Amino acid sequence: MSVGFRAVQWNRDKLVYDGILLAAVALFIAGFAAIHWQLHPPTKLPDAIDIWIRATGTCAFLMLTVILSIGPLARLDRRFLKLLYNRRHFGVLTFLVALTHFGFLLSWYLVQHNLPNLLTELTTWKDYAKFIDFPFKALGLAALLVLFVMAATSHDFWLLFLTPRIWKALHMALYVAYGLVIMHVALGIMQGEYTVLIPLMLAGGLGSVAVLHLIAGWRERRLDRGIAVSAEGWIAVGPPHAIPDKGARIVAASGAERIAVFRDGDEIGALTNLCAHQNGPLGEGRIIDGCVTCPWHGYQYRLADGCAPPPFTEKLITYRVRINRGIVEVDPQPLRPGTPAAIKCPSNLL
Amino acid sequence: MAIILFYGLALYALCGIVIGIAFVTLGLAQVLPHASVTAPARILWLPGAAILWPYVLMRWRQARAAAKTHRAL
Ligand code: HEM
Ligand code: FES
Repeated sequence: MSVGFRAVQWNRDKLVYDGILLAAVALFIAGFAAIHWQLHPPTKLPDAIDIWIRATGTCAFLMLTVILSIGPLARLDRRFLKLLYNRRHFGVLTFLVALTHFGFLLSWYLVQHNLPNLLTELTTWKDYAKFIDFPFKALGLAALLVLFVMAATSHDFWLLFLTPRIWKALHMALYVAYGLVIMHVALGIMQGEYTVLIPLMLAGGLGSVAVLHLIAGWRERRLDRGIAVSAEGWIAVGPPHAIPDKGARIVAASGAERIAVFRDGDEIGALTNLCAHQNGPLGEGRIIDGCVTCPWHGYQYRLADGCAPPPFTEKLITYRVRINRGIVEVDPQPLRPGTPAAIKCPSNLL
Repeated sequence: MAIILFYGLALYALCGIVIGIAFVTLGLAQVLPHASVTAPARILWLPGAAILWPYVLMRWRQARAAAKTHRAL
């Protein structure tokens, strides 16, 4: 098998997404700075730079909050799936905004000719034992480092090279980065600036990320439990028309992997819910051009046998399906990847 | 203490840059023998190779060892 690697594979949708993203970030930073400028007109250059530090820092924080919310939002409501497709570019842009924040900070020291002070601040070890004067910039640096590693390894090559297990573990560090940023702000600017806006922003961000994860997890637990299993162990999915055309219903045997049961017109087939690329939730995707299309990065598989169309070689586990007294049922025993198992549904049931 | 930390970090970064450049120019052919990689993609992978250089070095050596035994068979 031969693979070709390119830097970025843009298509029209992704270009539109990236364009909107860039415009939103530019608008936010400019708007934030303009309002700040009006409220507290800067008199010295360092004060003006400080405004840009705040604008870019706030922007990066909000972007992190959005990234961490997209996953559970898409699990709760399919309309948010569109946001999930290009999470990678969103992540890299977040790193760049945070890097700009750091760049402005460096220039803040540079224009006052006291860059060495920054080093002294970061290496005054006894301050790390304090709460009020904690070197909060070190927390920001740690978060920036995490974002850097993630942005640098976001290309598909790294998924292949590091293996999906390590890659996934590495990218879970985003939660660590978020925690570090919250402490960075709580121990930093929140200690000197007496405005409710900053604690409000922190609590709002952390609160919405936590609540969304809890609701999505709770909904899935309920979904997993409420499943009827027949005597021979087949799982009831529901009548054929209850499966959205060109979409899927996701079922799971107790404790077992999730199964995505798709319908394409009168064809019904069951595949593992895990995409062969990065374990994306296939059942949340749609059938596009006759192929099941993963919502995360668009890998495609034939419904009939779970194989990616040539020249690709990925194969998914399939499951046997049948129609029993008008109800679609799926056998939770996995078949070998690439085994044809889809069936035709009698038209009177649709 | 601060000095040791500073030079330690600088040394790590320097190793990263040297090994990273070597890896994206020479090492990829051994790690991904059947892949064609464009020049922009190699540049895009450089920061990752530089920061993860100990892991990259380990995998590179493994790939070389595997290629050797393959040829011996
Ligand atoms: C992931 C990376 C980072 C994020 C998301 C972030 C986020 C933030 C946020 C949200 C604020 C508060 C802004 C406001 O609402 O007024 C802030 C302030 C600040 N950050 Fe960061 N930060 C990051 C990295 C860094 C780094 C690496 C440094 C320096 C080493 C740094 C230095 C500062 C300073 C000095 C302030 C206070 C600015 C002021 O006094 O007005 N940050 N940051
Ligand atoms: S997880 Fe990337 S395409 Fe499915």
